[in-house]
Amino acid sequence: MSTVRIGVFICECGPNIKNAVDLDGLSRFARGLDNVVVAERFALLCSLEGKDTLAKEIQRHRLTRVVIAACSPKEHEHTFKQVMAQAGLNSFLLQIANIREQCAWVISDKTRATQKAQAILEAAVNRVARHEPLEIREIACLPDVVVVGAGMAGISAALTLAQKDRKVHLVEKAPCIGGKVARYEDLFPNLECASCVLDPLLDAVLHHPNIQLWTLSEVKNVLGYFGNYTVEIITKARHVDLQTCIGCGACVEVCPVSVQNEYNEGLDTRKAVYLPYPGALPNLAAIDETHCLRWQSQDCESCQQACPFGSIDYQETDRNMSLKAGAVVIATGFDLFDVTKAPQYGYGKIDNIYTALEFERLVNANGPTQGKLILKDGRVPESIVLIHCVGSRTPRYHQHCSGVCCSYLFKFAHQIRKKIPDATITSLYTDMCLPGKEAQPFSDKIAQKTGLKKIRIKDPAAVTITQDHGRPRVTYTDACDASKSVVADMVVLAPAITGTKDASSLGTLFDIPLGGSGFFVEEQTSLAPVSTPIEGVFVAGCAQGPKEIQAAVSQGQAAAGKILSQLVPGQKRALEAMTAAVDTELCSGCKICLGLCPYKAIVFDDTQQVAGIEEVLCRGCGICAATCPSGAISARHFTDAQLGAEIESLARHTGRENRS
Amino acid sequence: MTNDFEPIIVGFLCNWCSYEGADAAGRARQCYPSNLRVIRVMCSGRVDPQFVFQAFKQGADGVLILGCHPGDCHYKDGNRQALKRYTLIKSMLDAFGIEQDRLRLDWISAAEQEKFVQVVSEMTERVRQLGPLMPRANPLKKLDSNRSTRIENDMRFLQRKHKKISTKARKIESTK
Repeated sequence: MSTVRIGVFICECGPNIKNAVDLDGLSRFARGLDNVVVAERFALLCSLEGKDTLAKEIQRHRLTRVVIAACSPKEHEHTFKQVMAQAGLNSFLLQIANIREQCAWVISDKTRATQKAQAILEAAVNRVARHEPLEIREIACLPDVVVVGAGMAGISAALTLAQKDRKVHLVEKAPCIGGKVARYEDLFPNLECASCVLDPLLDAVLHHPNIQLWTLSEVKNVLGYFGNYTVEIITKARHVDLQTCIGCGACVEVCPVSVQNEYNEGLDTRKAVYLPYPGALPNLAAIDETHCLRWQSQDCESCQQACPFGSIDYQETDRNMSLKAGAVVIATGFDLFDVTKAPQYGYGKIDNIYTALEFERLVNANGPTQGKLILKDGRVPESIVLIHCVGSRTPRYHQHCSGVCCSYLFKFAHQIRKKIPDATITSLYTDMCLPGKEAQPFSDKIAQKTGLKKIRIKDPAAVTITQDHGRPRVTYTDACDASKSVVADMVVLAPAITGTKDASSLGTLFDIPLGGSGFFVEEQTSLAPVSTPIEGVFVAGCAQGPKEIQAAVSQGQAAAGKILSQLVPGQKRALEAMTAAVDTELCSGCKICLGLCPYKAIVFDDTQQVAGIEEVLCRGCGICAATCPSGAISARHFTDAQLGAEIESLARHTGRENRS
Repeated sequence: MTNDFEPIIVGFLCNWCSYEGADAAGRARQCYPSNLRVIRVMCSGRVDPQFVFQAFKQGADGVLILGCHPGDCHYKDGNRQALKRYTLIKSMLDAFGIEQDRLRLDWISAAEQEKFVQVVSEMTERVRQLGPLMPRANPLKKLDSNRSTRIENDMRFLQRKHKKISTKARKIESTK
């Protein structure tokens, strides 16, 4: 260690440190420490003049390491690292002794403050002597992005991202895009027609030169890291040629198979070759292999014969594709709480009880009843009950408030009134959740216009629906603890919005945890709402939590903004320098570290039977280093030797008379 | 035991929450006992059990490990690893005849300057009552011979246990 030349620079920080600590004493003390060649006090090191002096002192004394005794490293470590670099030293050969926030400002007694400052300084000097220069490596990044889910959030992200030098792969499970919103009739809060607002957007996606749409596709595997992901997808065979099909529906007419139509929430049937719903984009038919007779070993060729353009291709097979991208946006949307899990609502057993999504289809002009609001037997309902908070805000099912149901139930009241002027509309609610600048005025207006009867009830989970002469009877406890009931022709339930059923498998692929109710966990709730714990993977829309369209669009655009600023075409990305490192000589191959790394940055070499660090993934937390029973893993810049030097200095530090 | 005994407390503070919390106490000029000596680590999960034993061996009368609150860890769940190790170290302290109260783990967020001051004050007071660790027949001599094998065995045991628990939890979760 003969070449170690440490300079100690003590900052007065105006009166802040000067008045609290005996700085001349501290300088003298520092000069007596090992390897210290210079120790001086300065008025204000972070000033222009201070930084200039610092750089000159480093060169004048041919220093190899520097200790700055000043404010918290959180405040100016970055500043002094830059000075180090200017003076020609590796910026990791610096240690900050925090003698302001954790000494001068918190100890009123000057002697004690000086003693503590000495301990902190000595620890810093002994630590810096063991510092090693680290390289900040940079890697080339792909500017392209994979967006999973072509609902509102995914489409917003894709359209924002698809620029001149950037390609977007939009991966959608369904044969069509637009998500659930594309199947709504009107949109809150302006009651605009959904397809009028949405179709131009969907059209922009379909015709965008930089957006590659993958319908009927799902993510199967994910490899790589921020800047260089490989997303493996499987694209199901559509059996319909994308180029020649015009969506005329000739094939659909002749198909002999009839199955429940999931795009109308199972309220009607579709054929095995189908267009999901009128107006679905892209306007292309698709053959559903699970139901088509040809895949049940029967020799049906009806659709092929009916197609005027020869678009039907029975030979097409599922394709595995490998998409290369720098970043990923997960925008897989939501599912509704499965109301059959709350049997008290009678859903699925009693006729004319609908979920909100089913109701959206019932009132939609392209829906199973062409927008006619009718009962199962074809009659027009005279009374409709809307029930809030089904399966939400209760420890029994989901604790969260979905935040949008109150608003859309008012929209439903408006739609009902428009279609049936004299129907009785009753809403059973516990609390109204109408936040923001739109919802409250919207609901006030609609409640007044529709004559909606609002009944406050005690507990939505305690509502029971039974059959009364073929009609649903809703029994509830009102706000005054009285048990009451109402018989209606139709009941509309607002089930809790939850994460999608396949979110957990997607979460496993991307290594992103799911929170309560199956939503993806964001990196930081308030400040990083669209980032995930995995660098370069973002989450937007209802996949992150229940939200209205406006918020989903904002998140899609926010995720796109994060990517645009972080993945600039042609620019490299700096990697973490303070990564872990494995000494393969010492590694016993016990694999304990593998499961502990939060970023799966530890790889195991089966032939050598040793662990290794994938440096592009490592974020330098040091958990593995603390766990390795063989002491084979070190955490760069926080090595056992460096921290050990600090421990030794701090634990045995003098200045205490009664220690013998 | 004298009341004017000034213990040395070595504190391992995580970079993202607890070190920030300590800085916040400073910015608010909240005075607290000068006995705490802070070592900044990126994550409380970096605190190797050997650091704690080294601190005791080299003169610390108490050791404090402060991390982000559960669920707030900058590195997902490093603080959970810290908690697992803490339980382990505690049980080992017993074996060496070191009072368990000489080691404390707590969660301090970047905003919890008050809690930080409270924890440091309580810890200092508690260790002051316990008196100096060094003057007694030093039980830590045993550490050198025992450390590696003990820690290794216990670690492996905990690791297996943890794996079982989390597999079980995942099963329960998936059947929900």
